[in-house]
Amino acid sequence: MKPTYYLCAALSLWLFGSRAEAHPHVWVTFHSEVLYAADGAMTGVRHAWTFDDMFSAYALQGISHSKKGQYTREELASLAQTNVDSLKEYAYFTYARTEGKKLKFADPVDYWLEYKNGALTLHFTLPLKGAASAKAMQIEIYDPTIFVDFEFAKDKPVSLSGAPQCAVTYDLPHQPTAAEQARLSQFDIVPLDSSSTYGETFANKILVKCP
Amino acid sequence: MTRSRKISLVALTAFLMLCATGTVSARAAPFGAPHPATAMSSSGLMGWIFAEQAAFYRSLSGFIRASKEDKVAMWALFGISFVYGIFHAIGPGHGKAVISSYLVANDETWRRGVALSFVSAGIQSIVAIIVVAIAAVLLGATAKAIGLAVRLVEVISYILVIMIGLRLLYVKSRGFLIACRELTWRRAPDLALASVSAGHASSTMAFQSIGQRPRAMAMRGGQCQVDGCIAHGFQCDGDHDHHASAWGHAHGPEPTDLAGDGGWQRGLAAVVAVGLRPCSGAIIVLIFALAQDLFWTGVGATLVMGLGTAISVAGIATFAVGARRAASRIAESRAGTGMLIVRAIEIGASTFIVAFGGLLLAGYLASEQLWMFTG
Repeated sequence: MKPTYYLCAALSLWLFGSRAEAHPHVWVTFHSEVLYAADGAMTGVRHAWTFDDMFSAYALQGISHSKKGQYTREELASLAQTNVDSLKEYAYFTYARTEGKKLKFADPVDYWLEYKNGALTLHFTLPLKGAASAKAMQIEIYDPTIFVDFEFAKDKPVSLSGAPQCAVTYDLPHQPTAAEQARLSQFDIVPLDSSSTYGETFANKILVKCP
Repeated sequence: MTRSRKISLVALTAFLMLCATGTVSARAAPFGAPHPATAMSSSGLMGWIFAEQAAFYRSLSGFIRASKEDKVAMWALFGISFVYGIFHAIGPGHGKAVISSYLVANDETWRRGVALSFVSAGIQSIVAIIVVAIAAVLLGATAKAIGLAVRLVEVISYILVIMIGLRLLYVKSRGFLIACRELTWRRAPDLALASVSAGHASSTMAFQSIGQRPRAMAMRGGQCQVDGCIAHGFQCDGDHDHHASAWGHAHGPEPTDLAGDGGWQRGLAAVVAVGLRPCSGAIIVLIFALAQDLFWTGVGATLVMGLGTAISVAGIATFAVGARRAASRIAESRAGTGMLIVRAIEIGASTFIVAFGGLLLAGYLASEQLWMFTG
């Protein structure tokens, strides 16, 4: 039986390679502002995503600019357009939900790029397709394929606009508890179904609570 | 072969398939799936590797900048790139799954497995350098154009992987049928005669007139009829044609022949297909270096990174070869059905290559989408 054990161990090792997830190659630190209208309904999210220096250099490749090491907002306009166009396919990595219902975002508005200290920051506003009013609102920002690693900015990462009566908090992706870890190890045998809420544990989560 | 061994072989095959389907379902997970970044960081060794490689990658930019004035920093950069390559390649991509399946299906030697891993990693680095050199340095293309070029190369790579898988599947299925026929031959020679004649020539005729291979087959059949052992089959095939390969004809059940001499071409075709796809990380590093006017430092770092990648892939390839060898050893202890199981594993590995290539092409497994922001 010994060779069989060896075989199984070897195969697991080999397959663990292909089972692993992607590698992040883009790091984004973000600020997000949740937008509310005067009537107390949420209307959208305003993002400011700062890319890491290497990806910023990659994105800037071939972009013409008059001064070395400097890019104006106008020089970056076409790149900003490309960014938001490309992000559509990935749902802008922004998932909003209220009372178990998913909210849909329309195409971004007010988008521009800013270049500072070797890093690009993409500013854009994601309007909701229809304004939503609810006591609790949840917005998650993450890339399911983790090519992009999203991280809350250190200073005041989330804020609220136009809803003085509401409170905003955020949850960092946390280290899984023992129970979650046990669940994690069972994905092979018991895969997650679409109704599972397990995934929420691991996203960058913004919570807005209104009275 | 004892009963328990037989069961373990069946279990192994099931395990392989489970793992293969698991891979697919894990990747195709919808947005409801756990945030993978943190999910990964939780699972012990893998999480550690994951965190380490991310840290190494992020430190690269600082070292590239520093190497502008400081030669010591350049060597530190190469050191970090090497370690990053090792860690990075343990994750997905870099053709490990395809190369390993190829080695399993073809029963290659570990030496060849290691050599092919190095060639594949080398090609991967060089493709990244060529793409950046032509597109960015010579043409001053934008990230969008570079992303398109990479996408094109990727699609070609995936199509080649599928073609190689299909070819293997065809060859190995025939091998399986031949192994089946041998079993039938042992039980009902007349029936076997009839079926063999369909593909080649009547086996009695073949015995006298047609070349080596049918005779070898017939001899094997005969031998098995006498003492029903595959070990003897190996001996009587000493002069078996050596050029027969996955790229040639259906091959009789002598895995050792396949692994022996015979073209590097077939192995090369597989690693070229796999290696064509450049690593996104290498492209980003190269362009970052270029932006700092340090293109050649970037080239050096990319090559060293490739060396690290090669070591990881070679390690995994060696495991695959070892696993395959162990399976063969178990199977050899059992005439007939044992060989049939080995053939079935080969077919499974070939199918895996086709499926993997197909999923990559369809975008289900594409994890490194360089055009996410700049597409």
